[in-house]
Amino acid sequence: MNVGLLVGVISSSILSGTSLLYATLGEVVGERAGIVNLGLEGIMLIGAASGFAAAALTGSPYLGIAAAALAGAAANLIFAYVVVSRHANQLAAGLSLMFFGIGMSALIGRPFVGSLITALPQLPLPGVAEDGLGARLLSYDVLVYLALPAAIATWWLIYRTRWGLGLRTVGESPAAAYAAGLQPQRLQYQALTFAGALGGIAGAHLSVALTHTWAEGMTAGRGFIAIALVIFAKWDPLWAVVGALLFGAAEGLQLQLQAAGADVSPFVMNMTPYLLTLAVLVLWGWSRQSAAPAALGRNFVGVE
Amino acid sequence: MTRMRIVAAACWALLALIAAGPAAAQDKPPLIVGAIYVGSVNDYGYNRSMKDGLEEMKKNIPGLKLIEAENVPETAESERVMEGMIQQGAKLIFATSFGHQQFAFNLAKAHPDVYFEHAGGWMQAPNFGNFFGATQAAWYPMGVAAGKMTKTNTLGFVAGVPIGYVIGNINAFEMGARSVNPKAETRVVVTGGWSDKAKEATAAGALIDQGADVVTMHVDSPATVIQTAESRGKYSIGFQSVAAQALAPKYWITGLGFTWGPFMTETAKSVIAGTFKPAMVREGLGQGMMAVAPFGSEVPADVKSLVLAAADKVGKGFNPFTGPVTDNTGAVKIPAGESWGGDKMGNFDWYVEGVIGKAK
Repeated sequence: MNVGLLVGVISSSILSGTSLLYATLGEVVGERAGIVNLGLEGIMLIGAASGFAAAALTGSPYLGIAAAALAGAAANLIFAYVVVSRHANQLAAGLSLMFFGIGMSALIGRPFVGSLITALPQLPLPGVAEDGLGARLLSYDVLVYLALPAAIATWWLIYRTRWGLGLRTVGESPAAAYAAGLQPQRLQYQALTFAGALGGIAGAHLSVALTHTWAEGMTAGRGFIAIALVIFAKWDPLWAVVGALLFGAAEGLQLQLQAAGADVSPFVMNMTPYLLTLAVLVLWGWSRQSAAPAALGRNFVGVE
Repeated sequence: MTRMRIVAAACWALLALIAAGPAAAQDKPPLIVGAIYVGSVNDYGYNRSMKDGLEEMKKNIPGLKLIEAENVPETAESERVMEGMIQQGAKLIFATSFGHQQFAFNLAKAHPDVYFEHAGGWMQAPNFGNFFGATQAAWYPMGVAAGKMTKTNTLGFVAGVPIGYVIGNINAFEMGARSVNPKAETRVVVTGGWSDKAKEATAAGALIDQGADVVTMHVDSPATVIQTAESRGKYSIGFQSVAAQALAPKYWITGLGFTWGPFMTETAKSVIAGTFKPAMVREGLGQGMMAVAPFGSEVPADVKSLVLAAADKVGKGFNPFTGPVTDNTGAVKIPAGESWGGDKMGNFDWYVEGVIGKAK
């Protein structure tokens, strides 16, 4: 393995893992409140399109990210209304949200296809040369630098705050939470708003930082990978970091190996990240009792 | 300021429309043309090239009316969109994406008085023809450009799906590069889709990590790969539309684009004159269906002239796939005295010598 390959794999797994991590963190928080959101793919697309549009309109990639967070949160609030207030089936509502997101993002993004935006700038760590391997390894955009702190903050939020305790209680048993004086539906709204904002940021990282492009359906299934990563991470934000990096590394490695001229069919190469996801889920699945929140997927119809 | 200008322009357009309205209603257009695109015409890629061609046709035939629809999926939905265009009086339809073929063909049978041109397919009927650029040999001059500009002797190629025609493009590219730089190698990364942007960015990054200092691509829109190369200070060569230079103000070398305008103009004229003849048209640099894009500012004059000379040679009939041609394992694939052209271009499942990678 040459140095370029190693640096490339590390760098590209960090780059493509970042978007996955934000999406996974959001989904973890939502599922901790007992709500599974299969519409994450749609939320990411809305974030990618709104972020790109806002960056094109204002000239500022940072405003693009902010807009993506707002748009993602707003779209997830629609979902929250449907499943929390109207008690709709979460899986059906999630899939509808995904299709809504595909259509909505196409509508938002259409006028901006081909727009040139100022991409989220690279901020090299101090003392790193501007070119070469060092720059590749140690120069990223602000969302990459914030990804790990975001995971730690989410962990802290879930396990070390009163809000997080309430959130976990709601995810395990909304009725018990209600009996303890919490407001399960309010907590679920808050969790889904947070999840939507992170999902929006995840999409915007793809359009505004990684590719500098908006194209319809550009998330290409990453929303679903993130949902799988939640299970891999056992609903723990810190394990989500590992999962996101692992998947990013698998994708980065197969592309790097192709570039390096590995003697493997490109068709096989392109399957490897997904095979890895499956393998990991299988290996983790049998070994222990599910760590899933007990009330996941079940609606709290309240004690009206 | 710009918003004021847009509002003002819109007002003027409205006024012009009101003024011209009655007159236009009297002057029946000589032909109404319908066009469907699979994506957005602002993609700097394939759809943009179609849009540019149709606009040229419109300019060449005064009064011609063009009805367009973007983002038309390659499903039965496209049949409904084209049917709607026929209801609006379209007598010539350009179905510009490969997957539109069957749906356009169904309509051609139902509407014998409407003429269809499909891009890339093979079906034929008295009112149904097809056309495409002969891309493979036309990639040869792109290789010449890359071979001259590289300092690392490593070229990178991001490919969507490795079908024979795409492999043929890569092969001709490498052969062009070798013709001016015997040390030039082309590394290939396949993303597995025509429009997976995040993978395209990562793939271009991987090629650059492996030493490529000139990057090119065959995917729907070149925008992501070109911008990735630009942001890392590497040269890029475009494909599909000749207009992609705007994406890379600094490190753009040149590009290969489809120039459909002349063919579309002739087709429209033949429909107006009632002389439409269906054909399977495959034309390249020599017939004006493909062109070399403008050069970037960093390209020296001697490189420009070499590239243009190579394009001229290909235009006059030079075929790089003339034996003996060996693959990258050393096996002779096209024996001396034989040459590959036309339909054979779909048969490539091997890379020529100098391409690093596996084709299947």
